[in-house]
Amino acid sequence: MKSELAIKITKVKEVKRHTKKVLKGNTAAAEAAKICKATFISAYPITPQTTIIEEIASMISKGEFDAVSVNMESEHSVFAAIKGAALVGERVFTATSGQGLLYAHEVLHAIAHLRLPVVACNVGRPSYPWNIWCDQSDSLAQRDTGWIQIYCENSQDVLDTLIQAYKISEKLLFPTLVVLDAFYVSHTNENVYIPEQKLVDEYLPPRMVSDTDIDIDHPKAFGGLVAPELYDKFNRLFWQDMNKVEDAFNIVGAEFETHFGRSYGAIEAVNIHAGTKKILITLSSITTTARGVLQSNPDVGLLKIRLMKPFPKKSILKVLEKVNKDCILIAIDRNYLGDNEGALMQEIKRAMYGGSRKIFGVYAGLGGRDVPPTTIEKIINIDFNSPETEEIIWIDK
Amino acid sequence: MKTESNFLIKEENVFCGALSCRGCGWSLLVRHISNVMGTKTVYVVPACCFSIIAGPYPMNMLKGTVVHTLFAAAAATATGVRHSLDRQGKKKSAVVVLAGDGGTFDIGLQSLSGAAARNENILYICNNNGAYMNTGVQSSTATPMGAITTTNPSGKTSNAKDLMGIIAAHKIPYFATASLAFLDDLKKKLEKAKSLSGFRFLMIDSPCPPGHKYAPEMSIEISRLAVETNYFPLFEAEDGDYEITHFPKKKIAVSELFKQQGRFSHLFKTDATKLMNSYQKEVDTEWEALLEKVEK
Ligand SMILES: Cc1ncc(C[n+]2csc(CCOP(=O)(O)OP(=O)(O)O)c2C)c(N)n1
Ligand SMILES: [Mg+2]
Repeated sequence: MKSELAIKITKVKEVKRHTKKVLKGNTAAAEAAKICKATFISAYPITPQTTIIEEIASMISKGEFDAVSVNMESEHSVFAAIKGAALVGERVFTATSGQGLLYAHEVLHAIAHLRLPVVACNVGRPSYPWNIWCDQSDSLAQRDTGWIQIYCENSQDVLDTLIQAYKISEKLLFPTLVVLDAFYVSHTNENVYIPEQKLVDEYLPPRMVSDTDIDIDHPKAFGGLVAPELYDKFNRLFWQDMNKVEDAFNIVGAEFETHFGRSYGAIEAVNIHAGTKKILITLSSITTTARGVLQSNPDVGLLKIRLMKPFPKKSILKVLEKVNKDCILIAIDRNYLGDNEGALMQEIKRAMYGGSRKIFGVYAGLGGRDVPPTTIEKIINIDFNSPETEEIIWIDK
Repeated sequence: MKTESNFLIKEENVFCGALSCRGCGWSLLVRHISNVMGTKTVYVVPACCFSIIAGPYPMNMLKGTVVHTLFAAAAATATGVRHSLDRQGKKKSAVVVLAGDGGTFDIGLQSLSGAAARNENILYICNNNGAYMNTGVQSSTATPMGAITTTNPSGKTSNAKDLMGIIAAHKIPYFATASLAFLDDLKKKLEKAKSLSGFRFLMIDSPCPPGHKYAPEMSIEISRLAVETNYFPLFEAEDGDYEITHFPKKKIAVSELFKQQGRFSHLFKTDATKLMNSYQKEVDTEWEALLEKVEK
């Protein structure tokens, strides 16, 4: 058991047609924008996103990256400019964080419902009380805007996920938000295998021009007032396609593995088997810490959610099929959204509705508060069978 | 004087059936804009009356591409469109913002300023009808002092913002004012704006019968009076060189303009002399300041 888990931790495999570099998550994001050949970039600085846009600016000015880049005067304008560029058919990229994402909220809805395949990075930090450290309340507060959301665990994941994000966005015409943890991922140096350009090009050809893009020779109107019957219909179509995302994303991940040798899906199940007693459900970099703790806790499993929106209910239920009914689910939330349950707990409960499995929600690590292995141990060691144990727990008092 | 009418329009680039009120400045304005700009134009329209006039989905009143966008974001959306068309080699296309005064003076000021400061290759046209008309005549910062709106039912107590001053401070290649009562002048300015590149700005004084409270057939007459009283002088500035494009022949008191509009009628219920005198003084001072800019 132990050796199998150890292999999973050192998952980054040496593969052909890659260069190994030591990169921060933010650098991996900038590198991904380049190798995905984004053609229009606009951005506005905010800690801890800044180095993404600085590195892109530097690559463009050195002639290493062929894209138009416009420094806008706010995130609202950043997303509005990207909306305009995507309507003309360009492959666009931006990155933001915390307040910046919240400020762009209005435009996020517009981009999604214009069905634009926009890809943006968000380095997760909260807004208020004022804080710049790791937290997912900014992106999770955008769950209802109609964007696909994917959460990354490390630098390699950031690079690979951005490539997959363009693939899924352009396939189903939804925007995708790729989320990385402030500092724990954005500013942490790790080994990253960067695929050679041709390998990326084979997987991700240039964005196809479609007849729903702006074509000045065939004028159309975009985004006009929509009457109730049509509004209802458009949303039904949106819903139909959104329901295809989970399967399509798993296929995108499988195709990615064929091309690049690294495996991805909507979720990742670690040590989940019939005898698993407790399953930690995580997003992003907390997963890495939990992986380590699992080595000395063979009856604890880990369910990492990569695709957070739309929530991959099918994949989760499938993984849990073989698991004993008494196995407890523990959702770890690094966000607070003004209700009792955190976002992950809400989604898990929704997915498990009608089942009898016990589910607990644990708040941990908000605003960058450290979640060391001892905190994960503490979570695992809660007496979940005691009637005294509350459903929602703040692990650090 | 020769009458100005349809002969100015060589190419009718609007379809009939516009959803505007009678006497609306917007629908007249876009006929003249689209005639000059041609069909290879992308019009970026933030929330305003024209969002409705242009037609609901999937209709399009203009023979040209229309991108409806968010209230605050016209100049930013236009930025993305322009750069992308350039990248695709479609340099002959034009990108024109059609915004109201609210989308220009107020909520859209930030994105306007950003695009102007970047000298984006965009023609920004503000149809200034002096209030949020689409939502039912609420005050904007373009609403003149004294005017009644639904949010200033006793009359607005602060001055209208000097947007042309703000625009001038951005040192853009071209900016001008124009009026629907002076179509030759409007056409010349549109043509000049079209021929230039970089950020260009046109401020149109726009009539709005339901908002300004007068009969629809008065629209052009009132627009003319705004120019003839020097309340809305016609000028342009290319590379900062100001020129006045119309000099009123005789001096008409600004009160004549105000008397025609129901939104100012409460001012005349009692003795309006003092208020009108101060208004007149301000109009005269502004005109003098404009003359000075020309002489410089
Ligand atoms: C963010 C946002 N706030 C408010 C509105 C509501 N709204 C739509 S149009 C409008 C008024 C537009 O006024 P103006 O720009 O002067 O154009 P007009 O209608 O007078 O042509 C308002 C307030 C909106 N669409 N978006
Ligand atoms: Mg208005």
